[in-house]
Amino acid sequence: MSTANLTQRPDVTPAKRPTEPSKTRSTLVWLGLLALVGVSAWLSGARWSELGSLFTEGWRYFLLMGQGLVHNPFSEPYSEYWTLAFDKMMESVYMAWIGTLMGALISIPFGFLAARNVSGRVTVQVSRAFLNLIRAVPELVFAIVIMLPILGFGPLAGTVALGVGAVGTLGKLTAEALEGIDMGPVEAVRASGASKVSVLRWAFWSQVLPEVLAFWLYRFEINIRASAVLGVIGAGGIGSLLSQLFSKREWEQIGITLAVIVIVTVLVDMISGAVRHRIIAGSAKSERRIQEETVAL
Amino acid sequence: MSATATDASALRPRKPGPSGVLIAGLAAVAAFTVWAAIQIEFTLAPLITNFTNGWEIIQEFLTPNWSFIFRVWEAWVETVAIAIVATFVGVLVGLIFATMASRVTNRSNWFYRVVKVALSMVRSLPDIAYVLIFVALVGVGSLAGILALIMFNIGIAAKLTAETIDAVDQGPLEAADASGSGTISRTRWAVLPQIMPNYLSYCLYIFELNIRASVVIGVAGGGGIGSVIDVQFSRFEYANVSAIVVAIFVVVMAIDQLSQYLRRRFV
Amino acid sequence: MIELSNVTVRYPNGVVGLDDVSLSIPDGQFVVVVGLSGAGKSTLIRTINGLVPATSGTLSVDGSEVTGASKKQLRAIRSRIGMIFQSFNLVKRTTVMNNVIMGALHDVPWYRSVLGLWTAQEKELGYTCLERVGIVEKAWTRASQLSGGQQQRVAIARALAQNPTVMLADEPVASLDPPTAQMVMKDLQRINRELGITTVVNLHFLDLARAYGERVIGMRDGKVVFDGTGADADDAAFERIYGRSLTADDVLPGRS
Ligand SMILES: Nc1ncnc2c1ncn2[C@@H]1O[C@H](COP(=O)(O)OP(=O)(O)O)[C@@H](O)[C@H]1O
Ligand SMILES: [Mg+2]
Repeated sequence: MSTANLTQRPDVTPAKRPTEPSKTRSTLVWLGLLALVGVSAWLSGARWSELGSLFTEGWRYFLLMGQGLVHNPFSEPYSEYWTLAFDKMMESVYMAWIGTLMGALISIPFGFLAARNVSGRVTVQVSRAFLNLIRAVPELVFAIVIMLPILGFGPLAGTVALGVGAVGTLGKLTAEALEGIDMGPVEAVRASGASKVSVLRWAFWSQVLPEVLAFWLYRFEINIRASAVLGVIGAGGIGSLLSQLFSKREWEQIGITLAVIVIVTVLVDMISGAVRHRIIAGSAKSERRIQEETVAL
Repeated sequence: MSATATDASALRPRKPGPSGVLIAGLAAVAAFTVWAAIQIEFTLAPLITNFTNGWEIIQEFLTPNWSFIFRVWEAWVETVAIAIVATFVGVLVGLIFATMASRVTNRSNWFYRVVKVALSMVRSLPDIAYVLIFVALVGVGSLAGILALIMFNIGIAAKLTAETIDAVDQGPLEAADASGSGTISRTRWAVLPQIMPNYLSYCLYIFELNIRASVVIGVAGGGGIGSVIDVQFSRFEYANVSAIVVAIFVVVMAIDQLSQYLRRRFV
Repeated sequence: MIELSNVTVRYPNGVVGLDDVSLSIPDGQFVVVVGLSGAGKSTLIRTINGLVPATSGTLSVDGSEVTGASKKQLRAIRSRIGMIFQSFNLVKRTTVMNNVIMGALHDVPWYRSVLGLWTAQEKELGYTCLERVGIVEKAWTRASQLSGGQQQRVAIARALAQNPTVMLADEPVASLDPPTAQMVMKDLQRINRELGITTVVNLHFLDLARAYGERVIGMRDGKVVFDGTGADADDAAFERIYGRSLTADDVLPGRS
C-alpha cells in the first residue's frame, strides 16, 4: 500500500504548529488532591493496620452471615429470625410512609410561601431560610433533641423526626417546581377574575402535581433507609434490632436481617419507581430532569 | 332558553368518572396509610400533653455552650478527613462500577445484569448498616466510618454516573468502534469527557452527603464529631450537644457554598 | 481492494438494506455512492467495516474476510479502515489533538490511553494528520470551539491517524454549507491522490458526485443500479437511480 508516506510532511508549506499547553497546572491539581487525601488519611486517626484483618478474618464473619441464609427458613429458630426481621422492617416502612406523608402535607404551604412567582420577596426569603435550616439538620438530631424527650422511645418519635426532616427538601423542591411552571394558564385564570385561592389551586397546583407526587415517592424511598438510622438510638424500626444483634454478635441472625432489609428495600423501590414512571408519563417533565433535581433530596 | 338547554343536554358528553385503576390505587393508598398508622400507634397527642417534659431539655438546648465547639476541634478535623478519604475512594471505585452498569460502555449482557443487581443491593443497605458491619469487623473508630462511607458512596456514585453515561451522545462511540479501539480506550475517550461535568458535581454532592452523615457515623461508632455528640448526649450535656448541632449546621452550609462555587468554576 | 460478492443485509426488523450486491473496488480508487435516502448507501458503507453484519454473501477488505471475522479480527480490520460521519462524531469536550489520536488508539496500551500519556511519536502523528487537512494551528483548542467545516477536517485527520488503507465517508458534507462542502470534498480528493487511500464517499448531491467521483455507483432499494464514471452519470442515469428527473433540489446550490 502506498500509505507509507503518511508520516512524511505534506508538500504544502504547513502553518506553524502551536506549542502544547503546559500540563503543570493539571499535574499540580492532581498532586494537591493526592496530598490532601494522604494528609486526611493520616488526620482521620484511622488505624489503617486493622485493614488487613478485614481480609484475614472478615471473610469468616461473612461466611457466618451466609450460613444464616442457607438454613431452612421454616425451621426453628430461623423462622423466628426471619419473622422478627420482617416485622421490624415493615415497622420501618410504616414509619417512613407516615413520616413522608406528614412532611409532604406540611411542605405544601411552605412550597407556596417559598416560590418567587407566588409570594412576596420577604416571605420567600424567610421561608427559604427556614427550609434550609431544616435541611441542614440531620433527622437523627431532630429525633434526639425533640422527639425522644417528648414522644418517648419507639416508632412514633422516629416517624415525626422523618416528617420534620422531609419538610425541608420537599418544600424546596415544591417551590422550585412552582417557579418552573408555564405562566400562561396563570394569567388566563387571573384574567377571568378568579380569587387568589383558585389561581393557586387550578393554575399553579395542578401544573406541578405530578412532579411533586414523584418527589414525595422519592423521599419515601430515602426515608426507608433513614428510618434504619433512627432505630439505633431507640426510635423504632429495623435499626433497633440491627444494633442489638451487632452488639450480641449474632452473625447468623445478622445475615438474615440484612437480607430482609435488602429484599424489602428493593421491592419497595421497584413498586415506587413504577408508580413514579406512571405519574411522570402523564406530565411534560422528563424522567431525567426529575432525577437530576431530586439529587438534592 | 331553558327548553333548548334540556334538549342540548342529551348531546353533551357525560363527565367522565375517574378511571378504575385510579380509584383502586387511591383506596389502596388510604388503606395502607390507616394500617401503617395503627401499626406504629401514630398520635400527635404527646406533642401537647408531654410538652413540658421536652421543654426543659429544649431550654437547655437554647443556651448552647459555645466554648465546647472548639474544645473538640480534633473531632472536627477527623470528620472532614473521614469525608475526604471516603469521597475520594468511593467516587473513583463508583466511576469504574458505573461504566460496568451502563449498556453504553458494557457490551456484555450477563455482566451488565450482574453489576446492576449487585449495585442495587449495595444501595439498599442504609449507611448505618455499613457502619455497624465495619465496626464489628475492624473495631470502633474512624476506619469503620471510612469503610462504611466508601460502600455508601460507591452505591450513589455508580447509580448517578451510570444514568449520565446512558444519556451520552453516541456519535463519538460509533467513531471509536469504527476505528477499532478497545473497550477501555473507547470508555476513556468517547465517554469520560462527555460525563465529566456531571461527574464532578456528583463528587461534590457526595462529599456534602458525607459531612451530613457524620452524626450517624459517630453515633454508631465510626468516629468523628458524631461520637462526641453520642458521648455528650449520654451524659445529658444538652448544652454541649446543641452547640455541636449548631456548628454542624454552619459547617454544612459553608461546604454547600464552597461546592456551589467550585461547581460554577469547574463544571 | 474491497470485494463484495452477492452480499445481502437483512436488518433484524426484516428490512433488506443490501440486496445481492457484488462490487469490486480496486486500490486507490475514489468512489462516490449516490442514491435516494433509504437506498442503502449507509448500509453499504457500514457493512464494509463490519458495523453491520452481512446476512449472506462474502466481503473482504485487502484480502481479510470481514464476514465471519472474530471480534478481535474485526477490530484489527477496522483499525485499517478510516470512517467519516455526517455529524462528525468528535468528542467536543476535549482537545483536537486528543480527538485525532483517538484514531490511533488501537495500538496504544490501555494504561497509557487511560492516563492520556501520548508518546512524542503519537503527537507527531497527530500534528502530521492535522497538517494534511490544514488545521494544525487548532491542535490544542477544544473541538467544541470549531466550526462545522473545521470539525469535519479534524474528523478526517482522526481517520488518517489510523494510517488507513481504506477511507469510508457517510454523507460527510451533508451538514455543511456549500463552499465548505467543496473544501472538504477537495481535502478528501487530495488525500486520495497523495496517499493512494481507497475512498468510498456517500453523497446526496449528484453534481458533487460527478465532479469528484472517479467512479460513481448509483443505488436504489438496496441494489446497485448504476456503475460508471462521473462522465457516464448523465441525466438518464440519474432517472434510473432516483426514479424521476433531475430538479434544482438535487444539485448543490450556488454552483451550477
Ligand atoms: N439499524 C437499522 N435497522 C433496521 N432498518 C434499518 C437500519 N438502518 C437502516 N435501515 C433501513 O435500511 C434501508 C437502507 O437504509 P440506509 O442504508 O440508511 O439508506 P441511506 O443511507 O441510503 O439513506 C432503509 O429502508 C432503512 O430504513
Ligand atoms: Mg444514510
